Amino acid sequence: MPDKTYKRHDRSDIFIHWFNAACWLLLLLTGVGLIQNPAIDPFGSGYPAWLRSVVGGGANLLTIHEGIGLVWVAGFVLYLLVNFRGAKFFLAEIFAVSPARDMAWMFKKMILMTLGPKALKMVGANPDLPDQGYYNMGQKAFAQASVVGGVVIAATGIIMYLSDRTFGAESTGMIGWAVTLHFIAVGLVFAGLLVHVYMAAISPDERPGFKSMFTGVVPGDYAKHHHRLWWEKVRTESGKGSE
Amino acid sequence: MSRRDFFRASGLVAAGAVGGPALLGGLKKARAASPAKPAWDSRFSVCDICFNKCGLIARVEDGVVKKLDPNPKFLKSRGMLCARGNAGIAQVYDPDRLKHPLLRKGARGEGKWQRIPWDEALDMAAQKMVEVREKYTSCGHLFTAGTDLHTQFVSRFAEVYGSFNVTSHESLCLVSGSRAFLDTFGEVPFADVLNSKYIMMVGANRFEALVTPDSIDLMTAIHENGCKLVTLDPRYTKTAALSHEWYPVRPGTDMAFMLALAHVIINENLYDPQWVEEKTFGIEQLTAHVQPYTPGFAAEQCGIPAEDIARMARELAAAAPASMVYPGRRTSDYEDSTQIRRSFAIVNGLLGNWDKPGGLLAARQVGLKGVPYDAPWYDENQEDRIDAGKVPMMFEHEGSFLVTRDSVLADDPYPIRGWFVYKTNPMGTAPNRKKTIEMMNKMDFVTVVDIAMSDTAWMADLVLPSQSYLERTDPCSGLQGSVACACVVKRDPVIEPLYESRPLFDIMKGIASRMDLGEFFDFTIEEYREMQTREIPEALGVMDRDGVYYNPSKVYGIYDGRIYKTLSKKVELYNQRYEQMGLDPLPNYTPPAGPPKNQFRMVIGRNAMITQTSTANNALLHEFVPGNTLWLNTESAANLGIADGDLVEVASPVGRQELKAEVTDKIRPDTVFMLSGYNTLSTMQSLSHGNGASINELLDDDYDAITGNASMHTTFVTVTRKVA
Amino acid sequence: MAQQFAMVIDAAKCIDCKGCVAACKVANEVPEGQFRNWIKPTDVPVRPGPSNGTAKFQPGACMHCENPTCVAACPTGATYRDEETGIVVIDEALCIGCGNCIPACPYDARYRNAVTRKADKCNYCPERRAAGLPPACVDTCPTKARVFGDINDPQSAAGILFRKNKERLARVAAKTDTKPNMYYIGDPGPGAWGREAVVPASMVAMKESAPFIKGIVALSGLGVLAMLGRQLFAGSGSDHKEDTDA
Repeated sequence: MPDKTYKRHDRSDIFIHWFNAACWLLLLLTGVGLIQNPAIDPFGSGYPAWLRSVVGGGANLLTIHEGIGLVWVAGFVLYLLVNFRGAKFFLAEIFAVSPARDMAWMFKKMILMTLGPKALKMVGANPDLPDQGYYNMGQKAFAQASVVGGVVIAATGIIMYLSDRTFGAESTGMIGWAVTLHFIAVGLVFAGLLVHVYMAAISPDERPGFKSMFTGVVPGDYAKHHHRLWWEKVRTESGKGSE
Repeated sequence: MSRRDFFRASGLVAAGAVGGPALLGGLKKARAASPAKPAWDSRFSVCDICFNKCGLIARVEDGVVKKLDPNPKFLKSRGMLCARGNAGIAQVYDPDRLKHPLLRKGARGEGKWQRIPWDEALDMAAQKMVEVREKYTSCGHLFTAGTDLHTQFVSRFAEVYGSFNVTSHESLCLVSGSRAFLDTFGEVPFADVLNSKYIMMVGANRFEALVTPDSIDLMTAIHENGCKLVTLDPRYTKTAALSHEWYPVRPGTDMAFMLALAHVIINENLYDPQWVEEKTFGIEQLTAHVQPYTPGFAAEQCGIPAEDIARMARELAAAAPASMVYPGRRTSDYEDSTQIRRSFAIVNGLLGNWDKPGGLLAARQVGLKGVPYDAPWYDENQEDRIDAGKVPMMFEHEGSFLVTRDSVLADDPYPIRGWFVYKTNPMGTAPNRKKTIEMMNKMDFVTVVDIAMSDTAWMADLVLPSQSYLERTDPCSGLQGSVACACVVKRDPVIEPLYESRPLFDIMKGIASRMDLGEFFDFTIEEYREMQTREIPEALGVMDRDGVYYNPSKVYGIYDGRIYKTLSKKVELYNQRYEQMGLDPLPNYTPPAGPPKNQFRMVIGRNAMITQTSTANNALLHEFVPGNTLWLNTESAANLGIADGDLVEVASPVGRQELKAEVTDKIRPDTVFMLSGYNTLSTMQSLSHGNGASINELLDDDYDAITGNASMHTTFVTVTRKVA
Repeated sequence: MAQQFAMVIDAAKCIDCKGCVAACKVANEVPEGQFRNWIKPTDVPVRPGPSNGTAKFQPGACMHCENPTCVAACPTGATYRDEETGIVVIDEALCIGCGNCIPACPYDARYRNAVTRKADKCNYCPERRAAGLPPACVDTCPTKARVFGDINDPQSAAGILFRKNKERLARVAAKTDTKPNMYYIGDPGPGAWGREAVVPASMVAMKESAPFIKGIVALSGLGVLAMLGRQLFAGSGSDHKEDTDA
């Protein structure tokens, strides 16, 4: 008998995820190319020089980065207008943390993924993971970082964008900090992004989850074992699944 | 959503993300290896912010002047353009500039105007001039014009109109010096600073007051030719700072100093006896005359140690003939300023530096000719100028503004009720402003042609907007630059005229043609230039090509085999003409009076970043000199309880003003100083109105007894701290 | 040999006429109250008699330093030292006006242009030089106190002066040594008025956090590699339960 599927994401969710991913990656690549200072150069000093030569100079790179940044912000503003309920749902889920359960899950999952169940048994810990809801703690942690980081990145980005368009000299203190916080936020989210990409797209365990970012649905079995608390909620609601 | 859909969607997003801004923002071309040349048009002209007329090249883009650059071929300026020259753009594009003919609506000085069309304005100006002529004769109309290439047309108009009353600003400035040197040497000399080895700079501030070829040559002389510069000035000016020696001479005692120099030079036989015997007249009288003027006597008067005075005399003589007492320009200081400058000229005479390198030079041939005309004769007219015969040796063509003003106020010997003013500002340049206001109030009709609403325009009836120098076509003018050149310049428009402005020539022509005098203006400026250059026909083409024409005339030895234009046909150390006229043939020193206790002598001076009121509203220069302050000695300030920056009231016998004090060691304790050109009455000079103090309101209207030149260092003032 | 454009200045010739300041303001459309160049007066006690012989006025502007602290303060490389010409350049199209470089100059040569809202300073008038003219200040100076050119070129005016006066060239010292390329012949006037270069705290934070951020990213990357390694070598599929269900 084919497994029941449950709907996790609708079309706007899917769109905004991939929209965000595409913009973020382009912004990261162009943004790092905009930093050119031997004390910082995140991808090394050759990278900004090379990228600038490809697009015809640092000023062009800035225009591209600002353009994509504006599109990125506009995209989210539109999403909020079009699917405010979905956004609210998403935010409610990622910030719904049960500290004891979720921290335990987080700690155990990290060990399991790197060192395996034997490592946990060796220290006498129960290798079973606590049940998780719509999102597991790993997903929640990265989503929180992405949202908070994203807001910081967007806000500081807008400040920098407006810097030579509306701000006077008295605002340079704020603008200077916008540069720094933008850099730090991007760096931290990027660190999380590396794990997210592995977990979502490379780890075979999460394959059904990855597929759901295209199809919008997950198989019941996967839902039951990976997001039990959510599965228990939705399987009782009629019409949620489909054969 | 299928994987295919995903890729399609991502592709669209990526394309949009990159393509969008590229289309919207426009990707700038990759930075060129070298910056693009500016898209300028370069045009010659000649600066107008001071009298020097330095050649310049205007860079014009889309009909707007972007920069004024030096003309490297212009030797008289040594290829430079000073701060004011650069600021000419701010003058031309001053938003407060006069734009349309204006007719006074309210009371004089109220500042209420109505705009009228040019035809109506010219009709009115002509009509009023005719009325004045009918009621008061032609001499009942006064004409006052500043230093400008169009000023000759004002003189022409005045003459054909029949008025003898033409004044300039020169009697508020340099006529005493000109008089003294003219009467000693037979002509007014130029200083060959570049080749001099020892220069006494007394009552002149050549590095700071102005940037003329002398300013530049002085630096070259000092730096590269081993020239020594000694400055006497009650203020530690920039010239003082850059001199080898400086002494804060007591104001008004220069004559004692000069006569003491002469005393030492004569008594120690430091002059060239052959030259003095052959070329000068009056050495015996001079010798007897200077005996009492010992260095010790001068030391007491001037506040300079006697040994230094004697030493300077010896050094000056040792460097002769390549040494000089610098003649200076502005000599409007004391009531005996002509005699003071006579003492300067006499020392120069003893040095034998006439017509020699490093000394005083005669005017060089320039080659321009006047354009003659036959002025009509008016039976009904006065005998002479209104200021005639009131001072013994007034320059006829300059007159004396102060004597004229007094005469107008007293209707003595006849009334003047009409006044035409071009490009000068008696309200802002003449001492005792209250009297100028009185004079203006006496007028039936005043017409002013200017580019700004100066205080004189502010008090006028009819104000006509002139073109600025970058918009005009000007006749040729000859310039003397001593060793550098004798040259000719002209101006052609660099940009289209702004607003409804018109050149003075067109205005005079317009008024003249309405008075049956049109025949005297029946030519174009181009035709006029041809007449002016009829003996140097190549000049016009050269000026178009280089921006200047040089006449390679002799520099030294002009006087070889020539007589001096004096009664004795020699350099008159002893002036026979003065003797004949009952004036002192040799200068007699009278110690200056005062200042009384608790008062200060006010001295005036200049700064190369402003030109009195004509730059009062210049936005760029305003950044350098935003206002004037009262220089007050540190000790004196302490005694009065005044701190640097305090607001003070300065009061003289004729007026009072307020401004901030600048407490400094750079001025004598008995002296105060402020720059001129601030605090206009005119609200249409927004950067100056209400800013600083008007020196004209404070200065008393004494004048030099011989020429009628204003005496601007003889006003005593009180200074009190203003409690807010 | 690479060029090094610089000014060789004889401060003793300066008469403080402000011609250079005026010319620069006009040529470069410098906004009101802001200046790309300056003339510093020497503080001299006022005494009658012989002069103490020091230079009284010191013309100056951006010194196009060998070790520019302003460049080090810029996050984007919008300001940089052009190694071919030795000129410290501001790429106006790239500068975002963050203001970091302004306090970083010990000579206060930079300002945030009130109109463009970007960093601005003397750039040796490249457009004028492209038209064959000297920088505006040099062109206009009455006494030619400012001489500009490539000091590495023995034929240029600046090169000649530089070599001839090698023994007695002075630079204005600052509390931070940026190795300025502005040379004064003999007495420079005020000789040590430069302050310390100040880098804004936000830029210091950015520089100091950079290694940490890179470290965190590296740690994350290592973790991913460990997980990948486990996936590849310890068998595919899950080797642990995702829930408490048996």
